[in-house]
Amino acid sequence: MNTKPYFFQSFAIVALAFIAFIGFKQVLPNKIFSDSKIDSKNVLIDSMLLESVANDSLSLESDSIAEAEQQEAQKEIVFENTEGIEFPSETFENYKGYQYLVSFYEKLYQLEKNPQSKVRIAYYGDSMTDGDLIVQDVRTNYQERFGGNGVGFVSITSESAASRGSVKSVYSKNWKTQSYLNVKRPTSPFGVNGHVFFANDKTNPTWVQYEAGTNKYATTLDNPVLFYGKAAKRGNVNFIIGKDTLKKNLVPSNLVNSLKVTSGSIKAFKANFVHADSIPIYGFNFDNGSGVHVDNFSQRGNSGLPISMFDADVMRGFNNSLKYDLVVLHYGTNVLNYGTKNYYWYEKGMKKAVNKIRESFPGVSILIVSTADKSTKYDLEMKTDSAVVPLMKAQKRYALESESGFVNLYTLMGGDGSMVKWVDETPARANKDYTHFNQRGAKAIGKLLYDQLNKGYEEYKILREKRDVVSRQQRAARKANTDSIAVKNDSVYE
Amino acid sequence: MITIDSINNWFVQNFGEVTLEQAKSWFIYNPDEKLLFNTGLFLGLFLVFYFVYGFLRKTFYLRLTYVILFSLFFYYKSSGIYFLLLLLSSVVDYGLSQIIYNTAKDSTKKVYLVISVILNLGLLGYFKYMNFMIVTYNDMFSGHFALHNVFLPVGISFYTFQSMSYIIEIYREEIKPTKNYIEYLFFVSFFPQLVAGPIVRAKDFLPQIYQKLNLTKQDVNNALFLIIGGLIKKTVISNYISINFVDRVFDTPMNYTSFENLMASYGYAIQIYCDFSGYSDMAIGIALLLGFKLPANFRTPYKSVSITDFWRRWHISLSTWLKDFLYISIGGNREGSFAGFLFPSLFFFGLLLWGITNINTSFIPLTIAIGSIVVFCLSFLLSKKKNQTLVTNFNLFTTMLLGGLWHGAGAQFIVWGALHGLALAVHKIFMELFPSKKEGPSWLWRFFSILITFHFVVFCWIFFRARDFETALQVINNIGQLTFEPENWKAIVLGYKNVFLLMLFGYVWHFLPEVITDKMKFVFDRTPLLLKAVILGFVYWIVYATAVAGSQPFIYFQF
Repeated sequence: MNTKPYFFQSFAIVALAFIAFIGFKQVLPNKIFSDSKIDSKNVLIDSMLLESVANDSLSLESDSIAEAEQQEAQKEIVFENTEGIEFPSETFENYKGYQYLVSFYEKLYQLEKNPQSKVRIAYYGDSMTDGDLIVQDVRTNYQERFGGNGVGFVSITSESAASRGSVKSVYSKNWKTQSYLNVKRPTSPFGVNGHVFFANDKTNPTWVQYEAGTNKYATTLDNPVLFYGKAAKRGNVNFIIGKDTLKKNLVPSNLVNSLKVTSGSIKAFKANFVHADSIPIYGFNFDNGSGVHVDNFSQRGNSGLPISMFDADVMRGFNNSLKYDLVVLHYGTNVLNYGTKNYYWYEKGMKKAVNKIRESFPGVSILIVSTADKSTKYDLEMKTDSAVVPLMKAQKRYALESESGFVNLYTLMGGDGSMVKWVDETPARANKDYTHFNQRGAKAIGKLLYDQLNKGYEEYKILREKRDVVSRQQRAARKANTDSIAVKNDSVYE
Repeated sequence: MITIDSINNWFVQNFGEVTLEQAKSWFIYNPDEKLLFNTGLFLGLFLVFYFVYGFLRKTFYLRLTYVILFSLFFYYKSSGIYFLLLLLSSVVDYGLSQIIYNTAKDSTKKVYLVISVILNLGLLGYFKYMNFMIVTYNDMFSGHFALHNVFLPVGISFYTFQSMSYIIEIYREEIKPTKNYIEYLFFVSFFPQLVAGPIVRAKDFLPQIYQKLNLTKQDVNNALFLIIGGLIKKTVISNYISINFVDRVFDTPMNYTSFENLMASYGYAIQIYCDFSGYSDMAIGIALLLGFKLPANFRTPYKSVSITDFWRRWHISLSTWLKDFLYISIGGNREGSFAGFLFPSLFFFGLLLWGITNINTSFIPLTIAIGSIVVFCLSFLLSKKKNQTLVTNFNLFTTMLLGGLWHGAGAQFIVWGALHGLALAVHKIFMELFPSKKEGPSWLWRFFSILITFHFVVFCWIFFRARDFETALQVINNIGQLTFEPENWKAIVLGYKNVFLLMLFGYVWHFLPEVITDKMKFVFDRTPLLLKAVILGFVYWIVYATAVAGSQPFIYFQF
């Protein structure tokens, strides 16, 4: 065997390899793994989103966008007086739009004065709010301050039911589910949750079972009520609570019908659906009848666009019993990955969605929550995805134009590069997909969201106080001046 | 014509402009960019270092000092100012070892040994386990001690163990101490194995210092083969499948299907093997390029036919260290000791407590607690030599519990160690009750042994990987709900095509018969020098191309 020293040959190999590497780098492609398109019927993708992306032909020159945006950022937004309340003007850059939440804030104020009244929030979202992440923290924050018990409206089934801790639900596998995500023409209209379920298995029982979770203010199932839709034939449902079975009829005569399971608070129950094949079933509501209640309507893969498919009549039916005061639209994650930075098409589509909400829930306040930061690898480094800021701006634009409040989640969590920090810090606050928050992160986001909303509320109370002082003075002046005939009361409600 | 300008242009084109700022950053500690063997910066620095090293091969102290300086710089790049800690602990350990060697009286020797063990473990304990202990205390007695903001110096678990081996071996008179501090520091700080092992034993390494430095062609072949394999295992297989699949599932297991959870568990098994053994292989290869032979650390562990076999093939340098210095110190298979009984008793007591506190929600924890105690007791009660098996099993269990804890401060690591300890005990009694035949097991028996051992190891890895105990149970629960749905599985496999291909590649490579890997090595040894360089260069490119590959966007399946 050759035992001659081999140091310089050894060095030569490593050095030559380095040169070979430079050569390979120039000759070979840059990426080793193809970013192949996934084409499968089993992958959850928002079909309206795909259509909108395909139809998107409008693209401005990037220079003109940059210039327009600079002007836009400094644009002053002056609000019109609502009910005698006028929030100070804002710039587009820092737009929050508290002004457009005045009716929601007024309801909170009434609740604070009279703890028996109630306020309801519908929180629509995508996978970010799966498993009740973020929403449960917003809910807890509100219930902590304003009272209220219960997790709100819960769908029959959900892909994320297993990961939800605020309420546990188990269901038979034979439910037929239609989601607004990928069904255009549902057999019966979608419910307020964007889903409709059918118990049309004639041989096996179709059931769902709920059990209260361990979250604060949600340790019992309060006044469970079933919501179902219109159908030609009646059906039956058996509620099993402990050892008791309650047999009830489903009378599907209205667009939206409700059926009380039982009064008071229980720990768990099971619902067995019998002969209910054509009746659209939506879900159960759990609330104690006073305080704040927040419904989580999350749907993985959703861009938000499918909301424009809602049937406004059905939604008004839901609103008659649930009475929403604020609708939150928290989307964006699923529109980041389409290689586009021009979100005009999305802006347009979401304006339609917001209009549909206004039509469905008359007088409701709307809050748009922007996309959070998301990172992508550029060369060797994880950085904020270049689509994040354009999308966030588009979201701000449709928030402003549709007179909605706005939460800029991207700047709220730290702006540029913040997702990398949230993932890398110990303990981590976001997952390794550099997109989704974990429990800890979601809690932080829920708090940030609540804090911004609450800041608006505190300002509202001050403005309201001022208004009332002014109107009292006016009244006093009016009383003093008894000569004048009754002045037409302005729009001051007390 | 080649001018300076044209060279400069070529350089800028290929590497980008190198600013003074950048050049500075190469030499300054950055917590976000550790100096790993698979980084471009290490390659560059190593090339320069190695060039000079070749010229110093005939010197002795000059060469040692040169390597020490590079090692300290290497450690500084990974842990910043904590390289002083390495220096400090080496000074103390060297001093104590000198005293132990020069003391004649056994009892005095022992006192100094105990001092040094306490110092070393205390150092490790503070940096690695302080916060874990505080959290555990706070949880158990609802205390409110604030956590310490402790930085975990890279590789502290490795180099403290290495220093301890030196002192204990001197105490046991297995080796003579080094002639001076420089030689000792060279041994402790030797950069190839400094931050992630293998844990080199003084008696294996010190003699090599004094030998004439030599490097044969065969050594270089072996080194390159190890480095190439290590690079592919660590940077291609391990990194890619972890970031694009395994991490996501273990982050939120309930958001994924049973099949994805199962595949993530298999994925993690190959990921941790590739990560750990890949890095070890690179370390051994680099040491070999410098003319030092470190012991092998992994021998295709998933081919093991039993759990006992597994621990002879997995992280060998650690398991032999634990055997020689922990297991034997607390009595081995000869006698029981206080420590040997203490830890298992504490563990089983804790397990019972856990079962009893959860009795209101479920009987399962208590069943598990009682079941494992019964199994552990049976493992020596069924034996013919009850007393000896009893002490052996207690000592073994202690070793595995502490070995588990060595991997990280957390309850899930203790559980991981306990599972392995229990399995070792069960395997031993099984072997006693059903001794294997002399002519060797049949092919089918062997196959099932490997299959069962592998699946047990994968099951234990779930605890090792999961963020906490609850997440581990979620993964296990989710896998428990697996049903046979080949159509859905196909959709998932296609969705994560790259990940699953790499996993398959990793497993096929792992389970390749040795004949084939030997053949590959044989062919590699005979390729000309230039071709070897090209192969290595190609591997660099693969590493680069994988590193720049963007992460796969998340996919949600709906079935």
